[in-house]
Amino acid sequence: MKINCQDRERIFRDGTAEEWAALELHAATCAECGEELHAWKALSVAAEELRDYRPIPGLWRRIESSLQEQSEKERLRQRSWDWLKILRNIPVGWQAALAGAMVLALTVSGAYFLMHRTPTAPSAGNRLLKTDALKRVEEAESAYVLAIDKLAADAKPQVEDSASPLMVSYREKLMVLDSAIDDLRAQAGENPSNAHLRHQLLTMYQEKKETLTEVLETKR
Amino acid sequence: MGSVGLTWPWEHRISPVVHEGRSQLQLAERETGANPEDAALAAGCLAGDLRAYERLYEWQGARMKNLARNLLHSASDAEDAVQETFLKIQRSIGSFRRQSTFVTWTFRILVNTCYDLRRSRVRRKEQTQNDSEEMPKLPEPRAAVAHPSLRLALERALAQLTQHQRDVFLLYEVEGFRHMEIAGMLEISETASKNTLFQAKKNLRLVLEPPRSREAGGMR
Repeated sequence: MKINCQDRERIFRDGTAEEWAALELHAATCAECGEELHAWKALSVAAEELRDYRPIPGLWRRIESSLQEQSEKERLRQRSWDWLKILRNIPVGWQAALAGAMVLALTVSGAYFLMHRTPTAPSAGNRLLKTDALKRVEEAESAYVLAIDKLAADAKPQVEDSASPLMVSYREKLMVLDSAIDDLRAQAGENPSNAHLRHQLLTMYQEKKETLTEVLETKR
Repeated sequence: MGSVGLTWPWEHRISPVVHEGRSQLQLAERETGANPEDAALAAGCLAGDLRAYERLYEWQGARMKNLARNLLHSASDAEDAVQETFLKIQRSIGSFRRQSTFVTWTFRILVNTCYDLRRSRVRRKEQTQNDSEEMPKLPEPRAAVAHPSLRLALERALAQLTQHQRDVFLLYEVEGFRHMEIAGMLEISETASKNTLFQAKKNLRLVLEPPRSREAGGMR
């Protein structure tokens, strides 16, 4: 095979064994090609310096334990789906029949629950007041508050002036009630449609009204 | 033209018998790639036999770690990459279609794992760069080699290549894979692998050789 200097790079890139042999022969008589061939081979030899094939102590143990761990996880995952394999041994006809029976059972049970469902009244706590009802409640509440305030004004001299233990007790009770009413009003302000809060507020107002009534009756 | 003469210290080690620019040692390693044990190992791993994985490790573990180390420039990252590769082999052995040898398939997984690690390391570096200045990286200890200065020079020269050129050079010249195998690993054509290696070696010569021996052409 005859080659010349122009073939050199092509052979470096993708030469056959015969072409390499021919290049070696040519390089023996051509200084430039000899130089280039030598440098080209030198890179391959130099690359060996980047080989470090020493064994790595402990690495296989690490790999082995992680392989075992992964394998165990996979085995457990497989086992959880093993029961489905039973279905594979059942003939297709029976599989279809089984699926049909399950669908029928689901339909019948669903229909039964729908027909025998007892209407449940929404609990007071969860019931939300609609806009019209809320308006009426707020109107009634304002009137009630005004009436209680008037009652409180009547009872005020007796509650504040008297140092008797009974009156001190009433005074403390009224303070607690006022504090609870303030809290509930604040909560009701944030969530005005919550009927449960309104009920609690009403209970507090009623308690205050009864306490004030007791105070006034004590005077008599 | 007078002989420019490369003055590299490893010149005397260049084997007179080089085929296609490859040393006998590399050719011997290539042959091991076609080892009949390859198919037996694939079958063993597919059956979930841990001893097959151990045999694979004994056969290719050092080479895997060497490649990972050259790709990642870190011994500990390389060990992590090898471990992760074995786990990936175990997870995806069912998808091995025998379109390449088992070893080639294994190295393809390793190369991709190294790419993933490299990407995540770059991301980590970007995240920490804002917080603190990076500590200067010390060279990690490696096996004693005939020419430590040569290895260092080669590593520095390789760092100036493109990632693609570096990977092909490492796979072909250091690890001894054939272009066909590299093409499979890097998902490129065989011709692209040959061209990339050619360009990589030309660029390495530009970096490594004294300026007087450089001829036309810059790094591409």
